[in-house]
Amino acid sequence: MSKGFASNYRIVVLAAGIFLCFGGVGVRLLFLHVIDRDQLVRYIDKARRQVIEEKARRGDILDARGNVLATSHTLVVVGVDPQMLRKEDETKWPALASLLNLPLAELKKTFSTKTRPTQADDDSSDAEVDIRWAKLSEDITEKTYESITALGVKGVYGERTYRRAYPHNQLAAHVIGFVNKEGAPASGIEHFADFYLRGQDGWRESEKDGRQRELAQFRTREVPATDGYSVVLSIDSAIQHIVECELDELAKKYSPEKMTIIVSDPHTGFILAMGNYPTFNLNEYSKADLAAQRNIAVADMYEPGSTFKIVAASGALNDGLVTPESPRFDCSVDRIDYKGKTRGLPREDHHFAAPLNTAEIIGHSSNRGAAQLAMLLGDERFYNYARAFGFGQLTGFPVGGEIDGQMAPPARWDGLTITRMPMGQSVAATPIQMHMAMSVVASGGLLMRPQIIREVRDAKGERVYRFDGVSRSRAISEHTAETMAYLLMRVASSEGTAPEAAIPGFQVAGKTGTAQKLVPVMDSKGRTVLRYSEKDHVASFVGFFPASRPQIAITVIVDGADARCPGGVAYGAKVAAPSFKRIGEQLIQYLDIKPVTELRQPLLVMGGAKL
Amino acid sequence: MIKTDHHAFVNQLLVYALVMISFTGSIGLGTVWMRNQIALTANSIKTLETRTAEVERHIAETTTMIASEQSPDELIRRNAEWRLGLVAPDFRTQIVRINENPEQRLAAKRNREIFAVDPAAARPVKFVMGGER
Repeated sequence: MSKGFASNYRIVVLAAGIFLCFGGVGVRLLFLHVIDRDQLVRYIDKARRQVIEEKARRGDILDARGNVLATSHTLVVVGVDPQMLRKEDETKWPALASLLNLPLAELKKTFSTKTRPTQADDDSSDAEVDIRWAKLSEDITEKTYESITALGVKGVYGERTYRRAYPHNQLAAHVIGFVNKEGAPASGIEHFADFYLRGQDGWRESEKDGRQRELAQFRTREVPATDGYSVVLSIDSAIQHIVECELDELAKKYSPEKMTIIVSDPHTGFILAMGNYPTFNLNEYSKADLAAQRNIAVADMYEPGSTFKIVAASGALNDGLVTPESPRFDCSVDRIDYKGKTRGLPREDHHFAAPLNTAEIIGHSSNRGAAQLAMLLGDERFYNYARAFGFGQLTGFPVGGEIDGQMAPPARWDGLTITRMPMGQSVAATPIQMHMAMSVVASGGLLMRPQIIREVRDAKGERVYRFDGVSRSRAISEHTAETMAYLLMRVASSEGTAPEAAIPGFQVAGKTGTAQKLVPVMDSKGRTVLRYSEKDHVASFVGFFPASRPQIAITVIVDGADARCPGGVAYGAKVAAPSFKRIGEQLIQYLDIKPVTELRQPLLVMGGAKL
Repeated sequence: MIKTDHHAFVNQLLVYALVMISFTGSIGLGTVWMRNQIALTANSIKTLETRTAEVERHIAETTTMIASEQSPDELIRRNAEWRLGLVAPDFRTQIVRINENPEQRLAAKRNREIFAVDPAAARPVKFVMGGER
């Protein structure tokens, strides 16, 4: 009889041993997984679990042709833990200093400073703590950081951070705006379109090992980051550059207080360029003073002067009170009866012996003629037309802290307002308001909303939303607009006030403005009052071309250029109109604007018809 | 017989225990192997993610550099530095605008070619500098 391969006793002992071992493991598992579970899980959660934030990439800002105006890239903030430095690495310090663009002495000082005093309230305390992180540089590129890492200096390491970069520096600075070092959008499109640009940060939950490295296999929940959308502006960097070069030239020539130039498509209201002087570099925004960061085009107001005459003329033409040729107004008189009272008319820059019709009032920029046109309309109608042209209200331009200007309703007018407002006094407008008012004539009578964002694209470059031109209201009829465009062509002719704006071969329509500035002076009683200055002017030219098929509207406003002008007066025709012409000539080439020529014969010849 | 049955039972129990241990061990080893594979795959994914992020960082940096190089100021500086002599065409002398309608001219020319008895009578296209005619 076989006893098998083991004795009873040994088998029982072996089996008992195995079961005991299993039992021991089982009991331990019971303790680990049931009895001490909560405590252990809490410990593990504290020691190993981590939530890693995944930063979304902020979208780019592009110009109308896809050039990058603002983008995000990583920079490395490089620092040192002085406690970890090794003696044998000292030979690498000069190379490191060179890579960091730091003087070697400064680097050595940072490396040798290993402690700092505690920031206790008690001044008597002389305790010191170890420095574990001292910043060396915060603008290190990836490539440089690779070189730094390759040096292998122990204790020197970096932290990556997203930074906003503006490759074109000061180009369209007031429109683009900037994101500050804390990552907060501070102004411009960066602020306005932040909802589209910022994206959505993601996160993931996982565990880390003793060296703080993520244990990827223990990732549990994960929400991926959604990168921000890109915003495409209507700004064209080439046109913007033309405008900013012109501002530079004007600044060199006249040293004005401030200037603004706006270029737009009058039919859609899209702004193609908006430049201001003074300006600033977006990559060095912290060095720019606040005045330079101001978007003068929308946040400053001025008395528009003669450019405002388009309101009275358009209103009178639109209501059928006048035609370009008749009636004629006597502009030599200095007083006129209006609503039963005699009103003093403003001074003229020129003497007009013969009465002027509406075309001549515009062409010669007669102050008294404009006043009489407004009187024909009456207070209410004139005010309503001014409102219809967009004065005294926000245009809806989204960036730059737009203001609505100043235009009192007729109930608050004094006896002289109806004679002064038509020539652009007693009213304050922003440059963008004046620009859009002139665009009313160019667009065939429609008051458009000035827009700057063309479209929004997702991270893959697919279009998410496209903005189209928005008409706010109709100010005047299409016929009146055409008539006004024709009348404004006279301004830029040898008969008008601004032949300097004429571009040979092209129909230029526009209006000059030379507005006296209100300056504080002491009156006879010692009080400070505002008076129109004879020495301080705002020179402007607002116009468009080709007049019969407008493609471009340009506004040039130069404030405080008198000191360097002949005769000490900065006339719109002498300062701003030539600028209009120079910009216009460059745009003709760049945008391939063709002169408007009448077809002498129809295309019927194509079909073999008799001519 | 009883003793033999008892041994058989113990042997059978031992065999079952060993089989169970082997089975459990295999499952354990399998689990460990599987977890190791998961860890390897996860680490591989993590490495790829890190690499992707690195490439994206380089792309962003390169994009920024390219955009900077394409800025008008930089192009003008390069033009001067490299003495390329690139200038915008002169508005008045180098751009010739042809105001005549080209379709009409070409159609008329074609008609003349078709109907003319003497082919030499077909006038060639002639553009005048400055648009004067």
